[in-house]
Amino acid sequence: MANTPMLAEMMKTHGISRRAFMKYCASLTSLMALSPALAPRVAEALENAPRPSVIWLSFQECTGCTEAITRSHAPTIEDLIFNAVSLDYHHTLQAASGHAAEEAREHAMKQHYGKYILIVDGSIPIKDPGYSCIAGISNLDMLKETAAGAAAIVSVGTCAAYGGVGHADPNPTGAVAVSEIIKDKPIINVPGCPPIPVVMTGVLAHFLSFGIPELDELGRPKAFYGNSIHDRCYRRPFYDKGQFAEGFDDEGAREGWCLYKLGCKGPTTKSACATVKWNNGVSFPIEAGHPCLGCTEPDFWDNGGFYKPLSVPAGDYRDAGLAAVAGGAALGAASALLAKAGKTKAAQAHETVDAHDLEKSS
Amino acid sequence: MSATIDRGLNALREQIDSPVASFFSSCVSCGLCAEACIFYRATEDPKYTPIKKLDLMRRVWAREFTLFGRIGGMLGLIKPVTDEDLTEWETLVYDSCTMCGRCSLVCPVGNDITMMIRKMREGMSAAGHAPVELIGAAQRHTDKGSPMGDLSKAIHAQVKHAIDETGIEIEFDKEGVDYMVILSAQEIAEFPDVLSAMARIFKKTGVTWTISSEAFEATNVGIQLGNRDVAKVLVSRVVEAAEKLKVKGIISPECGHAYQALRWEGPNLIGRTYPFEVVHIIELLDRLRAEGKLKTKGKNTDRLTFHDPCQINRRGGINQEPRNLMNMVSEDFVEMESGGTMNWCCGGGGGVGANERAEKLRHAAFKFKKIQIDKVEPDAIVTMCAYCHHTLDNVFEEFDIEQDVIGLTELVAEYLDDDA
Repeated sequence: MANTPMLAEMMKTHGISRRAFMKYCASLTSLMALSPALAPRVAEALENAPRPSVIWLSFQECTGCTEAITRSHAPTIEDLIFNAVSLDYHHTLQAASGHAAEEAREHAMKQHYGKYILIVDGSIPIKDPGYSCIAGISNLDMLKETAAGAAAIVSVGTCAAYGGVGHADPNPTGAVAVSEIIKDKPIINVPGCPPIPVVMTGVLAHFLSFGIPELDELGRPKAFYGNSIHDRCYRRPFYDKGQFAEGFDDEGAREGWCLYKLGCKGPTTKSACATVKWNNGVSFPIEAGHPCLGCTEPDFWDNGGFYKPLSVPAGDYRDAGLAAVAGGAALGAASALLAKAGKTKAAQAHETVDAHDLEKSS
Repeated sequence: MSATIDRGLNALREQIDSPVASFFSSCVSCGLCAEACIFYRATEDPKYTPIKKLDLMRRVWAREFTLFGRIGGMLGLIKPVTDEDLTEWETLVYDSCTMCGRCSLVCPVGNDITMMIRKMREGMSAAGHAPVELIGAAQRHTDKGSPMGDLSKAIHAQVKHAIDETGIEIEFDKEGVDYMVILSAQEIAEFPDVLSAMARIFKKTGVTWTISSEAFEATNVGIQLGNRDVAKVLVSRVVEAAEKLKVKGIISPECGHAYQALRWEGPNLIGRTYPFEVVHIIELLDRLRAEGKLKTKGKNTDRLTFHDPCQINRRGGINQEPRNLMNMVSEDFVEMESGGTMNWCCGGGGGVGANERAEKLRHAAFKFKKIQIDKVEPDAIVTMCAYCHHTLDNVFEEFDIEQDVIGLTELVAEYLDDDA
């Protein structure tokens, strides 16, 4: 895989017509929220892009991200993109194993030093290196070593982007996100548990065509994470009308009303789920009748219960808040007791007034 | 026993409850209540800002019921309320407030300022700072049955007159009828025609009624004075008389604070609910209209407008009923600007009308009220409160203005269909 054939040549060998390729580029362009005029540029960039070397590192993860990016879309054109990049190292997908596998990584790193793309899924344990090792190398060391020569890093999935389930309270392994360790490389976060496949390939296509996409404050490409699910949800009109499902088997649920009260995190979750959808655009969780879990947001595991409405407070500040409330209540109760004592005394001191003693004696 | 500052302050303490505490805590000093107050609008003097009228009560609350206020009080930052303070506030609490309730309605944080004025008057009256006219009226009402004195002879004479005029029998103290009618002293003395009107309407609509010779007076000086002990004595008389006569209900007459006293404050004053209903005469007439029992013939062709009494509409909830009746008997009924729940007060309610000291303020308020009336140039103003009627009549006379004022019950009776 060391040779670098152009993408256009690869297409020909895969029997993809020029027309199909342009169609793909146009849809990719719109997906990335770019001007339609840029579609030819996307095509040009992709056509002339040399197959960049890609190293995919999997740390504390569940392989869900890989499952998503590979299985659900084969054999579509997205597959081609992955054939088009030189995927030089990927645990799950590569045929090589053991020393041969590690050799492939080291070789790719040496040959494309400073140019390869590093994709990471999974969080990195920093409490004890023994929690997760590959070929006797701790995740932390492997990340540092591989990142050093990368042109850019793509953190795929919420674990790599924000720590994910490994980072969830009580975080026994001391799991952290890639961005906690690597500070000197551009990092694109593509969170989701897993991310939408077409979003993953889209981000890669953008990187190949135009370089690093515009990112939001959480390091996510704005093109895919610019809107909240709530803003684009087809159930939004029910929210606006105040029509909510209160249970999973009530009338509201059957009528397809808003799932806010069942814990939907759509209002605080930015992702393209409601527009791009899943399984080749078939549907997305809310369409299947389940509230959004908010998986593209940091610490979504610890954000209260999945089935608790957003309006119910969650998190550590609950304890601080409870203490403050208790303190305030005690102070208030003491004050109220004094006030009540004053009022009771006043009631006891009440002298019934008669119309004839309304005047002052003087 | 006599009125003292201690008794007044104690009465104020008794009045401070959780609504008062939350109202004072939530006031943002926005001043919107000033714009809603007829006395501020008429004079533009900031001391007439409704919430300002409650300053002394706020001070008692802050000093004695709040933690910081208590500390402030110890440090001498919040001064105790003195008798001199009460003297100064007396004119604000009694002369420049008809308890019309407009300020409560506009308050953006929902403070019921009017209710607090009512509470503050408890302290003022217990401390001996109520206007002399109201004290006199309270004594006459307690001793002789009516704020104007003993009206027993007058009511009998007026009833006899109504019987002679209509040929319809009106019986005193008749047990088991539908309703016991009570009347305001103002009606008995000044507008007795309402008796004939009621007799005719009730005869036609099949309503049976009586008047209690023991408790025919509807007004309650205790409410205006702001003294619940006095108010309780007066309201108990009416309640007990109605219970004795075993009526289904009491008809509250065309009188604002009488309705307020019996319908809303009464059960709280006596500490129990009534075994009968309290219905305002206009409420009842509209009910009879809706049931198809009240039928009229012909319509008044004059340009008529309707003046909403504060205690019956804004603070009593009767808004649509008089309009239904107006449309039934009037061909040219025009609403005044801010008519309905936001109507401007006649300026005489809440004891202000009886208070001689307040005359200048009352006249200023009327000039403001007159702007509202002049915009529609009515041939006559219809109302459903004898005291509004009385106040408007008086000020029109004072300013030499020819303007008819009519009671709605009488107007309806005038168009009663005798053939139906």
